[in-house]
Amino acid sequence: MLVRNVVKKNFHRDSVQLLKLSEESKKIRGIKDAAVVMGTVTNKEILTQLGLLTGEGKAATDNDMILTVMADSASEIEEGLKQVEVMILKPPEAKGRSYYGVDAALQALPDANLAIVSIPGEYARDMVLKLLDRGISVHLFSDHVPPEHELELKQYAKSKGLLVMGPGAGTSLIGGKAIAFANVIKRGKIGIVAAAGTGLQEVSVLLSEAGLGVSAGLGTGGGDVKAKIGGLMMLQSIDALERDPETSAIAVLSKPPDPNVSGILLEHITRQTKKQYVTCFLGPESYNIPQAAVGRVRRTKTLHAAFSEAVRCADPDHHAQIMRRFTLPQNDLRVLADEVSKGLKEKQRYVRGLYTGGTLAYETLIILGRLIGDVYSNAPLDSKLKLFNSYQSVKDSVIDLGEEEFTAGRAHPMIDPTIRKMRLIEEAKDPEAALILMDIMLGYGSHPDPAGAMLSAIAEAKDIAETNGRTLPILAHVCGTEQDPQPLSEQEKKLREAGVQVFRSNAMMAIASAMISKRNTLTSDALSDVYDHFLGGF
Amino acid sequence: MSENILKLFRSELKVINIGLELFKDALEDQSVSVAQVSWQKPLKLEKEYEDILSKIL
Repeated sequence: MLVRNVVKKNFHRDSVQLLKLSEESKKIRGIKDAAVVMGTVTNKEILTQLGLLTGEGKAATDNDMILTVMADSASEIEEGLKQVEVMILKPPEAKGRSYYGVDAALQALPDANLAIVSIPGEYARDMVLKLLDRGISVHLFSDHVPPEHELELKQYAKSKGLLVMGPGAGTSLIGGKAIAFANVIKRGKIGIVAAAGTGLQEVSVLLSEAGLGVSAGLGTGGGDVKAKIGGLMMLQSIDALERDPETSAIAVLSKPPDPNVSGILLEHITRQTKKQYVTCFLGPESYNIPQAAVGRVRRTKTLHAAFSEAVRCADPDHHAQIMRRFTLPQNDLRVLADEVSKGLKEKQRYVRGLYTGGTLAYETLIILGRLIGDVYSNAPLDSKLKLFNSYQSVKDSVIDLGEEEFTAGRAHPMIDPTIRKMRLIEEAKDPEAALILMDIMLGYGSHPDPAGAMLSAIAEAKDIAETNGRTLPILAHVCGTEQDPQPLSEQEKKLREAGVQVFRSNAMMAIASAMISKRNTLTSDALSDVYDHFLGGF
Repeated sequence: MSENILKLFRSELKVINIGLELFKDALEDQSVSVAQVSWQKPLKLEKEYEDILSKIL
């Protein structure tokens, strides 16, 4: 098999366009494998693992595009490369009309009331200021916006009574519509403010599937709860939802905010609001709320718990009945753990989590930390447990594949399954891996068939384990609704037919993974402790 | 100060999408009006040319 790389200096396409070009290149006659990627360290690492990098590609920089093709003969390589070069020179295909500037777009849509900005972060400031000047709130998807720009933009938005959601905002729900990576959610009475994108997805999906629904979901980006920003947009969003007649209760979700910021938020909620609130500062530690808020404000530490408490606010009479559909009884989990763990070999002791949703990975770290102790990660709870090499799991490991080292210069793994498929195969080769757990994110923005896209790798992983005399249980939580472009039941069915254990919430999957890896030896006290602290308010 | 945001919640959503077309397609699937801006990275000139231009302009 022959491989050739061609490097195009200072040539740029966005990550989704590159993914499409790669897929089209693979379809060229005679080509066995191909890719069109920017020359980032991440992409070169992946091309190396796929056997698609040559000396020429190695020399590419972040600003260069690498074209790589694999074929049986030199003539096929040459012909293939010719066709790839034609493809990349075509201007990106715009479906329908597009404008070269904001002014022209605003002439076409003069009453625009929201903008989504997903250009490189270094260019975002000027663009967002221009939009705010026109009275338009902004969902800022871009990463790498300097913190001083974020502060400036948010202060300006506040002065104008507008929203800047982001930078790094993955998800919002406004007017019943899914913005960026978001699901089709029933309209309801719960408002959500979230500095945690997949956290917003998980809670809104669970509320929708419970039949309750969401009034609005505002993503602020993780930077909002850092000391420098001081929760500016969290506060702005809370104030708006507090006044919104369609919202009766509000859930506030975040990874642990800066201590000063959590103080500001809790104080604000206590003194300036009257509705019911659910706070979810994700983490193993408890936190206090002002005495005056006790009863009206419910504290939680996981997404599942925030969901449960939001149900309690919206429909207290049916809380127990609704939660039975989402929270497995301990005995059922024990039966499942016995069943799934009985085929494991003695050496298979460790949990391996392969996540595309960062907040879901974080929730799993919290639960596993309580049930099984130290868990390594590329984005750990405790910096002592940071993986030396994100591409190599150690003992119990949970990987957030949406982190920078996996996404620089390529599409997010929610869109491009390549990196998780490769990692799943690697984990299957490890005789110490007891099981895999993964999230399957549905909704707009995501892959059109995320479960289907994993099936070949799931089958290969199971084959590798079997060839080596092992079984490899795979657990999944599908975060999505029946109304999503990829209907939930269809996605779950595909996974079940491939022998995957499917869970209704990420937290339930995390608890099950601990019980399976520990062969159902966790004590009732340990299990009850997790149920009490992490599946409901505390 | 929340008037503009409350108005956004109540109004029909109309979106300017700057960057990834994926988001435009998703909104159009939900019957939202979208105007797409095709953003291009500004051309970076060689330092030498930048210096000359800055003297002229």
